[in-house]
Amino acid sequence: MATVTATVTIEDPIGFHARPAGQIVKLVKDSGLEIRMGRPGETLVKANSPLSLMSLKGKTGEQLTVEVDTDDEAKAQGLISSIQQFLKG
Amino acid sequence: MLASGAVLTGLGVGLSAISGEVFRVKPHQPLPVPAKHSGDKQSEIDKLKTAISNVSQELQQLAKKAGETSAEIFEALEMIVQDESLFDAAITEIETGWDAPTAFVNAVETFAELLSGDPTFEERLADIRDLAKRVAANIHGISLGLNLPEEGRYVIVGEDFSPADTAQFTKAVVGVITIQGGPTSHTAIICRSKSIPAVVSCAGAAELVDGVQVLVDPVGDRVVVEGKEADATQAISFVAKSAEPIIPVRANIGSLEDSIAAATTAAEGVGLFRTELLYLQSTAKPSKEKQIASYAEILKAAPEGPIVVRTIDAGSDKPVPFLDMPKEENPALGVRGFRLVGPHRDFIVDQLESLEEARKLSGREVWVMAPMIALTSEAIEFAELARKAGNFKVGIMVETPSIIYEIPNLKGVVDFISVGTNDLSQYLFASDRLHPSLGTLLNPWQPALIRALSVIAKECEAVSIYSGVCGESASDPAFAVVLAGMGFDSVSSSRSQVGAVRTALSSLDKSQAHDIYQAVLAAKTADEAKSIALAKLSLLAG
Repeated sequence: MATVTATVTIEDPIGFHARPAGQIVKLVKDSGLEIRMGRPGETLVKANSPLSLMSLKGKTGEQLTVEVDTDDEAKAQGLISSIQQFLKG
Repeated sequence: MLASGAVLTGLGVGLSAISGEVFRVKPHQPLPVPAKHSGDKQSEIDKLKTAISNVSQELQQLAKKAGETSAEIFEALEMIVQDESLFDAAITEIETGWDAPTAFVNAVETFAELLSGDPTFEERLADIRDLAKRVAANIHGISLGLNLPEEGRYVIVGEDFSPADTAQFTKAVVGVITIQGGPTSHTAIICRSKSIPAVVSCAGAAELVDGVQVLVDPVGDRVVVEGKEADATQAISFVAKSAEPIIPVRANIGSLEDSIAAATTAAEGVGLFRTELLYLQSTAKPSKEKQIASYAEILKAAPEGPIVVRTIDAGSDKPVPFLDMPKEENPALGVRGFRLVGPHRDFIVDQLESLEEARKLSGREVWVMAPMIALTSEAIEFAELARKAGNFKVGIMVETPSIIYEIPNLKGVVDFISVGTNDLSQYLFASDRLHPSLGTLLNPWQPALIRALSVIAKECEAVSIYSGVCGESASDPAFAVVLAGMGFDSVSSSRSQVGAVRTALSSLDKSQAHDIYQAVLAAKTADEAKSIALAKLSLLAG
């Protein structure tokens, strides 16, 4: 299976807190796909775990890598843009 | 057994009193100590799965009961209890030999440690740890429910209540008393929002037993055994007798939203603009251009009158991410406030220079002050930086006991001082301002604090330094009257209290306020001080 990779930015003024983490987990679970997130160059965490996402302690303005395991490029782009939306706060 | 009429003091939440029958909430049965399992890993994993699914259902029930605002909290908690990475971590713990409850608690703790130290998650941590307890209790068959009555009129009494506890409050709960917990505890916040009269931090309530009739009297900060509602302390309704208060009432702000909202009140300028609130989430040092733009916006929006800006007030317990703040053993006593001038002089200078540009752009009158000043030499250093950077009135916060004794030395150094009563109490009484069981020591009506404040007002007057108070205490209308009576030149209140404080300060003249202050000096306890002030004020209002 192919992996679609993208970069998103945390724009939420309070950083990557519980609420966006919950929204992303729900989206990931509904998609049925494996999605990973994390700082560029570091080990990524599974985005179906709110605690792992919160443990990234992402701050406002930071960039995160998103990897979506799928052959459906359009679906992956849709998910990535939803994730970016959640990170706007 | 407490006698009829016995008075238990605490801190009141709310303005109306209520009487009801005591219902003691038993402390939860303690959870068994961490233990190893007998070797059947699969059965432990199954037990854990069942418990997680039971707790998820409990949380759904709680969400239904809780209503909109708290429902979101329980939905988030449900998602966390079902977290797959958490489950995997628990399985690893089971594989090393721990039984299911211990494994889950350990797994939660691993994540809790990762999240600790970040202010964004600090308040979530207690909830997440509470989840681990719920799962462990479920496996052991221990009930964490409060089993509150559904009918009747009960005053519930307990140590303190968690979000999961308060969500179980039934309509039979008409009043709440907690033995621990302060005025900013979860219990206090929920009771305030649901308008349930409460008295928190009430140590004497440990003696209350089921079935006793009590009066919960929040205005009087007390519980009266077998008291009647007719005995309740009345909140004073002040009637303004003049258009202007005897001293200006300013507003406290920390953001553009606050500044805009403060301008809709009758506040005369801003008595405290907390600049650090703009930066608690910034990972990169804000450029001067960015600072100028945000300060100018806030200054322009502020209510008419001078604007007192405090330079960055951060410490290792309230860290600003872009300033390097190593962990300290006692952050309240560490490198905080103006002490940051050592490692971060550039940022403080940047702030002052940006404020000068913003002052010019907005055309407003700006006063600047530094927090956490303990020595005259520090005041001199700040004053030099501030006067070099711009055209401001220059002042300092009075929060440390040491600077009180140096006020005569500040003549000609600063134009004004502003007292932060929360920190002054913390340092004067050597009591952590966030400690759940030290509420009594932090009560602003403590005679020692009142005397310290009066010394500050007098010493400032003697050397012609303008004096103000911007702590929480200045948001209490009755206390504001005492402050005006001792000679302070202005007070600054939280936005929601500006109107009430202004009305109180418009209901009397300066000599009446001075008489009330003089009378309060006779008090030997905080309760006595408050009662004296309220009695005098009721006479004036009546």
